[in-house]
Amino acid sequence: MNLIDRYIQEVGRYIPRRKRGDILAELRSLLVDTLEDRFGQAPSETQIEDLLKEFGRPRDVAASYYPQSQYLVGPTLYPLFRMVAWIVVAAVLGAQAIAWGIGMFVAGETFSTLEMIASLVNSVPVSLGWLLITFMVLQYFDAKPHLEEDPWDPQKLPEINPEQDLKRWEVITGLVFGILALVLVTFFPQWIGFITTPGGKFYPNPIILDYLVLIKIALTAGIGLNLFLLWRGRWALTTRLLRIGLDIYDVFVLALLVIGHNEWLTARSAGGFLDAIEAIEGIADGGWELVGMQAFRLAFAVALIVTVIEILTSIYRLIKSRLRSDFSAKNAVLKVE
Amino acid sequence: MMMANVQSEQYQKLTQELRRGILVLAALSQLKEEKYGYALISSLAEKGLDIEQGTLYPLLRRLEDQGLLVSEWNVEGSRPRRYYVLSESGRNTLQDLAGDWRQLTGVMELLLAANANGGE
Repeated sequence: MNLIDRYIQEVGRYIPRRKRGDILAELRSLLVDTLEDRFGQAPSETQIEDLLKEFGRPRDVAASYYPQSQYLVGPTLYPLFRMVAWIVVAAVLGAQAIAWGIGMFVAGETFSTLEMIASLVNSVPVSLGWLLITFMVLQYFDAKPHLEEDPWDPQKLPEINPEQDLKRWEVITGLVFGILALVLVTFFPQWIGFITTPGGKFYPNPIILDYLVLIKIALTAGIGLNLFLLWRGRWALTTRLLRIGLDIYDVFVLALLVIGHNEWLTARSAGGFLDAIEAIEGIADGGWELVGMQAFRLAFAVALIVTVIEILTSIYRLIKSRLRSDFSAKNAVLKVE
Repeated sequence: MMMANVQSEQYQKLTQELRRGILVLAALSQLKEEKYGYALISSLAEKGLDIEQGTLYPLLRRLEDQGLLVSEWNVEGSRPRRYYVLSESGRNTLQDLAGDWRQLTGVMELLLAANANGGE
């Protein structure tokens, strides 16, 4: 029955989450009923395989529940699209509010209601437009007929592997923060910095502005991967390798940021943390700027260490997952022999 | 020539279209008493109407969404099964559709008979 489990798992990848459990339970019941009626209580592997071939490719079975044609974003992708669209709108509004807050209360700027509405009219549709384009591309490649596809072979279905299960909330959290950060660096990079006291002077961070393009690439790639993971519903070899690749890129960008802050601080004779503390007493205002930059450097250094740990964890999971599938494959061969 | 026509893809499509139209009525007609999916497929097959599983289940769900069927999981047997049965609205619809069907088949018989006799 392992083949049935693998088939059900694969069909589930293409069914919206809300109805997935119900549809899959019914599909399982139908498959088992058909097997029992045709072959009795203990069907052979070949008989199961023949039945699955008759039922058709998992993607086609799922599509029969939700016809995909004639949609920009089809029913399978729509729940994910709707969820991400709300995250994007919330992130844009949140980032806009933060930017206005900093502008008004810190820099003492004033914004008219018209200006605020004009800004929202620009940022919200632009963000949603990009989101729609991304999903249209996903939809197009998913719905594209595979004319030269290999013959449908149930034995090629992916193994059931708990290591590939996705921690959905982890991915959604990553997506929320990723989108929020991307909106901030795209629309309001001038407001990334720090203040000493409420209403006090605002210091933009010059190093972040230097590496803005690299940061945007890292954030966009991270959002893309998280979207893809939510769409696929589980880890695969390619996504694990992609995650490791993106993390290595993140380490590179974070290292540049740490080095950049280091050079900036050293040039002001405040390379060490204590130097900045001493500077506060000497130069009242400039000292705080050094402390702020020290805090940014510390935050990026921590992020760098966390990302390195994440890379090592991902490599460990990848090796464990590979060993497990090798073990199952060997077991399957032994059983056949 | 005739065989080639029967085998042609176009003919298959036409047959599929013809059958698709009657599936709703066929399924509703068998669900006065509750049945699970496979039992319904078997019941239809016994009476000469083969229907693919991939077609039936989405159809049952659609009819349920339209309020013509109600369903519930029964876990008492050897394994859980989802049983479907006509709702009040489904029973009325079946009655109406059956009337329409009889009228249509009457008309079609006339049309085809006229055609076979070389009439208008």
